[in-house]
Amino acid sequence: MLRAKRLRALVFAAVLGLPWFAGSALAHHSFAPYEPDVQIKLKGKVTHFQWTNPHVYLGMDGPDKNGKMQHWTIECANPGILNRVGWKWNMIKEGDTIEVIVAPLRNGEPGALLKAVRLADGSTYTNGGPAGSAKLSFD
Amino acid sequence: MRRPAPAFVDRGLWLLALAGVAFALAPSAHAQQQGDAAQVRGLNGTWERYPSVSSGLGSAKNDGPPPPAPIPPPPLKPQFLKSWQAKQAEIQKLTEQGLPPANNYSACIPDGMPAMMQAMFPMEFLETPGQVTVIEEAYNQVRRIYLDQALVPAEDAEPRFWGHSVGHWEGNTLVVGTVGVKDNVLFRNVPHSMKMRIDERIQLVGKDFMRDDVTVTDPEYLTGPWTWTWMYRRWPGYQIQEYVCEDNRYSGNPENGSQRLRLNDQ
Repeated sequence: MLRAKRLRALVFAAVLGLPWFAGSALAHHSFAPYEPDVQIKLKGKVTHFQWTNPHVYLGMDGPDKNGKMQHWTIECANPGILNRVGWKWNMIKEGDTIEVIVAPLRNGEPGALLKAVRLADGSTYTNGGPAGSAKLSFD
Repeated sequence: MRRPAPAFVDRGLWLLALAGVAFALAPSAHAQQQGDAAQVRGLNGTWERYPSVSSGLGSAKNDGPPPPAPIPPPPLKPQFLKSWQAKQAEIQKLTEQGLPPANNYSACIPDGMPAMMQAMFPMEFLETPGQVTVIEEAYNQVRRIYLDQALVPAEDAEPRFWGHSVGHWEGNTLVVGTVGVKDNVLFRNVPHSMKMRIDERIQLVGKDFMRDDVTVTDPEYLTGPWTWTWMYRRWPGYQIQEYVCEDNRYSGNPENGSQRLRLNDQ
């Protein structure tokens, strides 16, 4: 009886706990608008690099998953998270050639969530834990 | 040729110098107060949530005392529990579909209380005479806990994001009461009335860990106290970063209320 009650309480906590975790507590917004499984690699010149809260943004041209050239808006974590995982505010500049691994928006628009970036000097950086890790490699 | 200064000038300078030294060495009342506060309490400094939830949120070091138990579901009264469960289920469903509903966070509205104390990003405690100040990096949040004062009655408390907090020391435990949290400032989407009260007991665990035992009561919405514990790890030398929502590209999609990203670069 007590065990069944405990089990019910556990299931209740698990079911209701999930959306709290997924929805709000970790960042400015949910990452659910981005593909959970699809990732693509892009290489190109940085057209825009914006070091702001609540997010850092990168702009670059690159092909989408169908090979069509697009201008991509790539969302990174915020300056605080990026500083803590080793980025520096001025390590990327407009005109730099970089490679990125990103998860595109599910709605098909040319926006994406950064998973990892490789700079021209070969150094690589993650986008911090909340954004999830890269499932592809640069090489 | 320079003439030597008269003897009385020399003596005067010495007296002045001695007076200066004496003044510098004499502790002012202000400094004494600060010293006492720092000596007894030990909460000063920067802290990160423990255990660390994800890399980039803190130092990602997780060796330490046993972590606190997960936060239990809120003991909402039956008439509120059902709609809260339905809302949580709907948020989950929409999130799985890639359409998470816009919320305070996506609108760059800060946590408020009690969510601020979850320390999404690192947090700083400042002990000064008569006050403990908590600064949370996320959203530049500042919370002021006034010591040894009476808490304003809930019905007179101007509604605020962080409410009104007063505290006192019981030994080395900072005991804090908070009322006056706006009823649209929600933790985990749990509704509350202006009669909600948050009680906290904040204390060190060893030298480098801290715990905050939180109890939420609300005679209108809850059947009893909702309690949990948050823990923090000291992060020596960490400097809190600024957080201004300078360019929030998220807004509610007018079609379905979901969080939507603006794509243009400017």
